Amino acid sequence: MPAAPGVFAWGLVTGVAMVKSGLNVPEAIALSLIAYAGSAQLAALPLMATFAPIWLIFATAVIVNLRSAVYNMVMRSHLAGLSMSKRIGLGFLVGDIMFARFSALLERDPHYPQPVAYYFGGACCNWVWWQVSSIIGIVAATGIPLSWGLELAGTLTLVALLVPLCRQWPVLAGAIVAAVTSVMAHDLPLRLGLPLGIVLGVITAFLVERRRGAA
Amino acid sequence: MIEPYIWWVILAITAGTVVTRSGPHLLGSKLRIPSSFDAALRFAPACALAAIIAPDLVFSGDTLNLTLENPRLLAGAVAAVIFATSRSMIATIAGGMIVFWLMKAWFVG
Repeated sequence: MPAAPGVFAWGLVTGVAMVKSGLNVPEAIALSLIAYAGSAQLAALPLMATFAPIWLIFATAVIVNLRSAVYNMVMRSHLAGLSMSKRIGLGFLVGDIMFARFSALLERDPHYPQPVAYYFGGACCNWVWWQVSSIIGIVAATGIPLSWGLELAGTLTLVALLVPLCRQWPVLAGAIVAAVTSVMAHDLPLRLGLPLGIVLGVITAFLVERRRGAA
Repeated sequence: MIEPYIWWVILAITAGTVVTRSGPHLLGSKLRIPSSFDAALRFAPACALAAIIAPDLVFSGDTLNLTLENPRLLAGAVAAVIFATSRSMIATIAGGMIVFWLMKAWFVG
């Protein structure tokens, strides 16, 4: 799978970042195996490090993962013939990298005979690569000094996810407002700067899009 | 040993992930998505990522450092440029970390 090096690096970094943010080895492995949440795991790290309330961690996971909801809206038509349990299972395996590859395949070859099999095989490979690399990262991290600043690598993977989303002006404007708000509101209790930033960012993006639509 | 708080964290992240990944498949295929929700779907993830990343890059400890002498900020900026031009996750992480380490060596050592 050509996607494997990307998944592997991302998993490795997430594993290291989890431990460097204060989780112990069993906690980090349990989080990786149970949640399989990628960016949501990374997003939750600064929150759990400051013992943020659980509802905020849940809300953050949902919002960061709205990307997957978009992917699954698209996947719905391809999985339409399958049973409910299969659709739910396949939906859970959706990730940024596999969805990008699946979309690219259907663009190249719209009549590919077994798209679901292609998707399922790739998604399973990614799951295995992710778990293996995460666990390597978790175990290796205990021997890496904090001064290397490896938790920054987790933030950098989020940067890589953010960049392609900002291709349109409304999204870019919203992201800038969200970033500035979250920095300015950093001193608020319970990490409330985060939801505040998201709300103001979405409103900004909405307004910018409406203005551009009217112009 | 897993702390009770961490169990709740794991549960919250898992629930948030399942809702967004498997949720759309629970809806009937005829159901239309309201347009306000559609806008949130398109805008919210980028805003959330930006709001999470920004404090991580501009604060060193508790002090705000918005200059390019802040290693984390410069590393983040370089990473964004690398990903925009190369689309490679590995190059992005490696490039950003190398900038970060060089900057730290430069200013500390």
